Amino acid sequence: MTNIAPITKLALTIFVTIWSIVLQSLPALAALIICQIILLAIARVGLNVYKGIVSLFVFAAVLAGMQYVFNNDMILAAITASKMISMTLVFFILLATTRMQDLSAALVQQCHIPYEYAFMLTAALRFIPDFLAESKAIQEAQACRGYSPQGNLFQRFFSYMAVIKPLVLKAVTKSETMALSLELRGFGSRKTRSFKNNVTLAFKDYAMLLSMILFTSYLMIQIN
Amino acid sequence: MLELKNVYFSYKAQSPVIHDVSLTVKPGEFLAIVGRNGSGKTTLTRLMMTLKKPTKGDLFFQSNSMQNSTPAKMAHHIGYVFQNPDRQIFHDTVAEEVAYGPKQIGCTPAQIHTFVNEALEVTGLSHLADTYPLSLSKGQKQRLTIASALAMQPKILILDEPTSGQDARERDQLLHLLQKLHQQGTTILLVTHDMEFLSACAQRAIVMAKGHKVFDGTVSELFHDTCQLTDWGLIEPVALKISRQLGSFHLPQTASITQLGHAIVNLLGRNSHD
Repeated sequence: MTNIAPITKLALTIFVTIWSIVLQSLPALAALIICQIILLAIARVGLNVYKGIVSLFVFAAVLAGMQYVFNNDMILAAITASKMISMTLVFFILLATTRMQDLSAALVQQCHIPYEYAFMLTAALRFIPDFLAESKAIQEAQACRGYSPQGNLFQRFFSYMAVIKPLVLKAVTKSETMALSLELRGFGSRKTRSFKNNVTLAFKDYAMLLSMILFTSYLMIQIN
Repeated sequence: MLELKNVYFSYKAQSPVIHDVSLTVKPGEFLAIVGRNGSGKTTLTRLMMTLKKPTKGDLFFQSNSMQNSTPAKMAHHIGYVFQNPDRQIFHDTVAEEVAYGPKQIGCTPAQIHTFVNEALEVTGLSHLADTYPLSLSKGQKQRLTIASALAMQPKILILDEPTSGQDARERDQLLHLLQKLHQQGTTILLVTHDMEFLSACAQRAIVMAKGHKVFDGTVSELFHDTCQLTDWGLIEPVALKISRQLGSFHLPQTASITQLGHAIVNLLGRNSHD
């Protein structure tokens, strides 16, 4: 998957989302999920991705449980959870197998999205691990001052402010520093810009795109 | 007071970051941990605060194992001052920020009032009690985090690289503050790269190299062998270099710039009398 062009993976994301919405049977959705897990295995993604997938399954199970409690329909709950897992898994594939700079280049060169918007997306994604690391560091700093969330949900929420407030302040400071740093390096000073990375489509990309279009067309015909 | 027995620590499936370290921190000591970047200094103090758990070995605080302790529990006994003060500041005033710790450990309002005022007094921040903390200078923020730790009445104060990013005046103020706290009986454990700072205040030094404790002794013993200092990635203090150069004038070899200054003044005084 790492050798596939980012635009193909973006198309895969859109197509899998459509398939997840269109498919209404549990075995079909399960097959879609299994196919995506196989793709991740082929791409040899890191252990942390699998940890994220496990969390996703747990979260989906909780949601399915809640839906079952309110609707008393086990099949419907399982289908909803499977749709959610399937639509989220494809983002795991996209993000775990694509470099941010390649994604940015594909969005600008092939999707003709203004670079500023493409950069906003990639910068936001790039900040997620930093944000998590910062959150952990702040929790540790506050733990050294006796922070230990206890009590009911409201009490826990208010005590969590000790982490949220410094985190937001740090994020604002970081974004200001980044904006300054970008301007100092000529960000947005030219209408046209070049990219170091080659994100052009190869034969396998065309083959994959054609397969996805054909499969979507087949599904649409089946539904109608 | 605080004891580490054959402690090992490693991140998942990696070689140990801390390798068989044993040490004891005695009450009232002023101890400095030094070494190259990545030598395990900060990890060692994080183990002491139970922010990390040892993969092997054990830690004891007042003869009790710290195996099941948490940072929030240890906060009753140990104050930890992080390198980056911005990570913990979140209240609207300096006084409220300092009061956060005592509130968390269950002090009464009267105790909180007393502890906050005492901590602000000792750190010289009383006049800034109602100031917005993020508008303070780096040095003042550092003193605020020290005040926040002191307000919890810790027996040990651990400071991770407290002099980083501070100007000379702020560094001197911090030095005087730590000396004052030490004189008042607080046990201080300092992680630093700053050899001048270490020589000015610490009594004992521990050198870490590649996760191993390679030296544990007095500061004067540390500066005795300059070849080893270089091997450990440490720089000889300027005062020691000057006193070595002036060895023929029978000046005492000292790493403290204050002691060297006094020695030079005495020497000049003697010469003028002659």
